[in-house]
Order: sequence, then structure tokens, then C-alpha cells
Amino acid sequence: MQKPIPVPAPGSQVHWHLDAPYSLRHLLIIAAILIVLILTGQRTEMDKMVMMTTEAAGKLLGVADDSQVVRGLSRVATSMWPPVLGETEEISRLPEFKRDQLPILSRIEVQERVEQRMNTETLQLEPHSESVEVLVKPVGYVVSVFIKMIETLEIALWGTIIAVILSAPLAYFAARNYSPNQASYTAARGFISLLRSAPELIVALFLVLAYGFGPIAGVLALGLHAAGFLGKFYAEDIENADKKPQEALEAIGAGKLKTLWYGVVPQVLPQYIAYTAYILDRNLRMATVIGLVGAGGIGQELKGRFDMFQYGHVMTILIAIFIFVFILDQLSARIRNKLI
Amino acid sequence: MIHFDNLGKAWPDGTKALSDISLHIPRGQFCVILGPSGAGKSTLLRAVNGLMHPTQGQVRIDGTALTHATQKQLRRRIAMIHQHFNLTSRLSVAANVLSGLLPVVSTPRALTGWFRSEHRRKACGLLQRVGLAPTHLKRRAGDLSGGQQQRVGIARAFMLDPEVVLADEPVASLDPKISRDILTLIRDAAREHNTTVLCSLHQIDLAREFGDRIVGMRDGKIVFDGTPAEFTDERVSALYHGAHWEDPPKKAEPEAAGFELAHV
Repeated sequence: MQKPIPVPAPGSQVHWHLDAPYSLRHLLIIAAILIVLILTGQRTEMDKMVMMTTEAAGKLLGVADDSQVVRGLSRVATSMWPPVLGETEEISRLPEFKRDQLPILSRIEVQERVEQRMNTETLQLEPHSESVEVLVKPVGYVVSVFIKMIETLEIALWGTIIAVILSAPLAYFAARNYSPNQASYTAARGFISLLRSAPELIVALFLVLAYGFGPIAGVLALGLHAAGFLGKFYAEDIENADKKPQEALEAIGAGKLKTLWYGVVPQVLPQYIAYTAYILDRNLRMATVIGLVGAGGIGQELKGRFDMFQYGHVMTILIAIFIFVFILDQLSARIRNKLI
Repeated sequence: MIHFDNLGKAWPDGTKALSDISLHIPRGQFCVILGPSGAGKSTLLRAVNGLMHPTQGQVRIDGTALTHATQKQLRRRIAMIHQHFNLTSRLSVAANVLSGLLPVVSTPRALTGWFRSEHRRKACGLLQRVGLAPTHLKRRAGDLSGGQQQRVGIARAFMLDPEVVLADEPVASLDPKISRDILTLIRDAAREHNTTVLCSLHQIDLAREFGDRIVGMRDGKIVFDGTPAEFTDERVSALYHGAHWEDPPKKAEPEAAGFELAHV
């Protein structure tokens, strides 16, 4: 016959003791978390967000009468559609226009324009029609966005190159086992933290003041931030690299730099390539944004069109960014699969 | 050639790795350091090229004491063969062998990998000497078998014509047949260049077969020092099982150089 395992009576003399899983302490912690959530939620207007979103959902389902969110979005959407593809320019305003050498994919059209002009005799505004010759480029704006996208890619590429060049010495000094002394180690680590803590957009804002509008500020902003990232990760890989080949080279007195080059770099190269590919990927996305503060590339074009309320142009740019990032994502995924 | 003068090493936690080791290894000798794991064999070897700094006594190479000041110069004359081969596994076999030259190659040459043609020829010659084929040159070192990797390690060690080769358990991770091949290779290559070899082993049969001299170590002390012929089975069991050695260990002072065997 089976006997139940005896349970010690409460309060009996047992050496082992297992507490109940929850105690007053847990309750206090949960209460504290709730208070923090409520306070911060109120300050970030989370209650209002929920209300407005519910209202928008209601409007879409035909329940609510009006929704600020839906109104705003639809206003933007209608003004953004259709995206602008072409460009027209008045020929009389083109300084170096040659009639026999039209740019490819363009044609000359004569447009009738009605303008209000003041009649000098009656001093009244009268409609006055005028024919203007214009150069029509049906995909002119797409081409110029494409060129801006290429400039954006170039900014990303050079940002990455600068990051790699800067981070190599940084990594050497920031690796505890290669840095010549404590001071250089601390200095390198501090510099890396400084670079990493400054977001690209803010750095670009200041670099635009220093270097003027254009790609230089963008390249430097991307490069400096990424140098911090790469320096940190390169350095940590150096510190964690297999010690055995390094010991073999140290034993014959090869010197630090040569030991690093022959005993460490070949071993950590796959990770280095992965980090650098990630930085290139990130820089491609950041380069589209960084132009918002005037640091060149497609972002600068986007900001300009946005400020001039040309939302059709903005739409074209957004579609172009989406297509580019999508293609590059696919490409980088393929390259990464091949490398690793 | 190599003098250990009252060498002692205590780890920071107070454990004694070596205590009062005095030895003299004459030029051209193949000296086996034999003993169980943890006897201090590796520590003793690593004192010779300054990978380990003793807390007591000193090591002299050709009369020059190994200090921080002399270490850089002395290390060029002392090669090392490692238990785990310590090759850069993602580098080619050729690059690994050439890395044995790094102390004497200029930094630009080292960084670009543009070694002198005589150096490249020397690497090829050594790889041929250790029994590898030309097809191995461009293979990654990590792709080779253990025995082949140790051959690469030997070729690398002999690139700078070392006066001393420290072999730290060179065959511990290899099978018996390959172990014998590798030790033969080290012994023969050393004899060709009149190189002194200090080789730590834990296999008694290999020590007897290859050593000109056997130094038995236990708990950081020398408990036997003599020829393989003197290393009888009783001494073996004393080294590995007996708690203490009966006779005081032989002190190998400079006059013990007479003990040196004839070399081919």
C-alpha cells in the first residue's frame, strides 16, 4: 500500500525553509512601478493619445463625427498625391539654353498664361494672356531626386570610410591589453563615449555652422558618430581575441603593433566586417535624415520642399527613400550571408 | 648556455610554482623536462623567454641575465613551440611561418606582408623541411590537422635561426605516432643548427627516447636530473607516485657541463 510522504507540521523543527513566492516587498515594487507609469504617462499625454486614436478609429468605422487625427492625415495625403515626376522651366529664365541641344527626355511647349496686369491708362487690373515657351521634362524631378539619392549614398559611404579610418587608432588605444598606459586608455575610452553620446543630427547641426551647407558636414557627422561605435566594438574584440597566437608572437619579441596585425586582426576580421557593414547600413538610413539640418543629400531637398509646402515633391522623395532603403537592405543581407 | 640561478616563483595567492631551481643546460643539448601536470614545467620554460617573471633568482642566457631591459634582444634568439600550436588560424600557413620573422622585419614590410624574397624562400625551405607540401602554403592554418599545424609551428620557430628552442608540451594534443614524428623533427632540426632544446613532456617513453638529458620535476622542484639510462623505473615511480624523493636532487652547476652528451 502506498503511503503519502509526510508533511512537517507548521512550526515544527525543520532545517529547510521555502518562502511563499510573493511578499509585501513585491507589492511595494509593483505600486512604485505603477506610480512612475501614471506620472510619466500623464506628462507625455498618453491619456490624450489614447483618446485621439480611439476617436480616429471611431471616425474610420463611421461611429464618431469628427477626428482631428483623420482630418490632419487626410489633408496631408490629398496634398501629397500625386507625387511630382516632371519639371517645367521657362526657357527665357534659362541662361545657357541651346535650342538645338535639348536635354534628353525633354521637349519645348508653348503655354498660355493669364496674368493680372495693371492697365496704365485705367489703373485697373486686367486679365492679360501671354504665351510662354517652357521646357518640359516629364521625369525631370525623378532624375534630380535620383541624383540626390546618389549623393546621399556617397555621403554614407564616405561617412563609413572616415569612421573606419578614425576608429582604427582609437581601438588600439582603447584596448586595455594594447594601450600604452592607463592615461591613453582612459583618454581613448572617454573620447569614444563622447563620440557615441553625440547624435548625428546634433553634430551635423554644428558642423553645418563650421563647414557650411552641403555634404562635408554630413560626411563628418556620420563619420564621427560611427567612429565611436566602431572604436568601442573593435577595441572589445581586440581585448577578447584568442590569446594563443598573440602569446606566440610576444614570446619571440615581435612588438605590439606587429603582434596585433598578425595575431589579432586576422582572427577578428569577420566580426570587423560585420560591424562595418552594419555601420554602412545605418549610415545609408541616417544620411537621408541628416540633410534636414542642411548637411547635404536627399534630406536637404526634402526639407526645402517641405518648407515650400510642395508636398507632391515630398511624396516623390519619400517613395525614393523607401525604394532605396529597401533595395539596399536586400543587397546588404545578401552580402552579409556571403561573408559569414 | 641557459642558467637557472635559484629560480623561484610564487603566484599572487601564495602558491609556489617553482622553488629554488638551479640548472645549467649546455649548448646543443636536448633536455626534457618531465613531470606530472602542475609540476611547474611550463612555468620553468616560460621563465626563459620572459613570458613569466620569477619572484626569486634569475635566468641567464649565455651569461646575460634576462631582465626587462635585455628581454627584447634575448627573445629574438629564443623560439617557442606551443602545446596548442598557437598559430593564427585564419592566416595562411605561409603567413604564419613568416610571422616568425616579425622581430627583425621593418614595420612597413610587416604591415603590408611584403617580405624579402630570401625570407620567402627560407619559409618555403623550412616548410619543405618539416614535411609539408607546396599546396599547404596558401591554406588557412586552422584548416590543417593537429600534426600539420605543429609542423607549421616548428617551421615558424626555426625562421630566426634560434639558439634556444622552448618546446612546451609540443605533442600533448597529438596521437602517439605523430608525437614521435614531431619530436624527431624538433630533435633533428635542432641538431642541424646546434640549437639547444628545452622540451617539457609528460610521456615517460618519449622522454627516454628523445632526451639527451631528463630533468624530473614535481611540485615545482627538481627531483631527478640525469641521462635517460639513469632514469630507471624506480625513479619513474618516485617521480609520479612517491611522495618524496629519497636522495637530494642532483644540482646541475656549470661544472656539470661535463655531463653533456656527444652530438651528431
